Amino acid sequence: MAASLTPEDLDETQRAAIEELLFRMADDEYVQGERLIEWQIYAPTLESDLALANIAQDEFGHARLWYDLLEELGHTEAELIWERPADEFKHTTLVELPFEEGDWADVIVRCYLFDSAERLRLESLVDTSYAPLADRVGKALSEERYHLENAQSWLDRLTDGDSLEHVQDALERLFPHALSLFGEPEYEAEIVENGFRTDAIDDLRVEWLETVIPYLESLGLNVPDPDDAERPTPRGRDGTHTEHWDELAADFRKTYNELEAPEPARIGRERA
Amino acid sequence: MSADDASNGTACGYTDYADGEAPESFPKTGDGATGVEADIWEALYEIEDPEMPVSIVDLGLIYDVRVVEQEGDDGEPETLGIVEMTLTYTGCPARDYITNDVKCAILASGVDDAAVRLRFTPEWNVNMVTEAGREALRDFGLGV
Repeated sequence: MAASLTPEDLDETQRAAIEELLFRMADDEYVQGERLIEWQIYAPTLESDLALANIAQDEFGHARLWYDLLEELGHTEAELIWERPADEFKHTTLVELPFEEGDWADVIVRCYLFDSAERLRLESLVDTSYAPLADRVGKALSEERYHLENAQSWLDRLTDGDSLEHVQDALERLFPHALSLFGEPEYEAEIVENGFRTDAIDDLRVEWLETVIPYLESLGLNVPDPDDAERPTPRGRDGTHTEHWDELAADFRKTYNELEAPEPARIGRERA
Repeated sequence: MSADDASNGTACGYTDYADGEAPESFPKTGDGATGVEADIWEALYEIEDPEMPVSIVDLGLIYDVRVVEQEGDDGEPETLGIVEMTLTYTGCPARDYITNDVKCAILASGVDDAAVRLRFTPEWNVNMVTEAGREALRDFGLGV
């Protein structure tokens, strides 16, 4: 189906379905970026300081791509990011967890699990019927390519030596949370029927597992069985989160609240 | 990819905006525009990228300029200037500056209202820079 639907074409249900899709994408990217910047001065090489800074900047750029489309549907940046109740965020709990202190393996495993899923999700949107989304997916995909390469390059290195055990620990801790990446969204039927996403979420989940499990096993890691893994109670996607999310949300909004809700659009100076 | 590949000089592959071809009919330069639309193009040429002394038109960021009639808040007809443009990078920290400048450029042409719409298809690449833009970038010290 060619991308032909515009915001004006959407009925109420279609609009809710598109919003569900966009909130997940935007919140995932935003919170992943928030956590990655915590590593800024702690990465093990200057190059990886820069790599993480750059990847976090990309994630914020992509969060903005998707929040923009929500603004096009009538939301404002203030209500999307700065004032939305924390329990209305739809990101996976994988991205909100604090890093185990100084655990470089944690950041690499997390990036790999997230970026491999992100790529599949974006590929399933290339042929979306929603025109504003179709316009932006290619750009995000191009910019994401390096993220996965960076994570895999580090995974190869870390599992080749003494750090294998750290990687295994991180994997066991993070994998159950990553299983919520492809949890079924509200409006899944409408998302697929309307061609907003061209693959069903269950198919994406299978494809992701068939990608990550053999790769991780080839590095000498034991991947928890997805069917037996103990799933965390908070699912993220339904607005339930770990206790760490409230803390992070309070942190990143602190300055906004202190400045008494500055208008983001007015930051720009008038030079023309 | 193995760690060895990463340390053997493939890093330059990541400046991948250097690759690619300019899609047909890009860059848009306002050639042949008339009236108010030509005025808007002229004003856009005056806006430089915040990081490099080159016009955003010569960088190839402008995808369309048009003026349409719409009904104003008071029910009277009014003119709306629309610029469709892209950014080289989605994480561009100067987006608000640039779009604000563009909005001012549109309004300077005398239209009643202005709209800036971001587009990311086609994806921008360095081959969408005009010849004049290349020259400005070379003067600035970038090899293009």
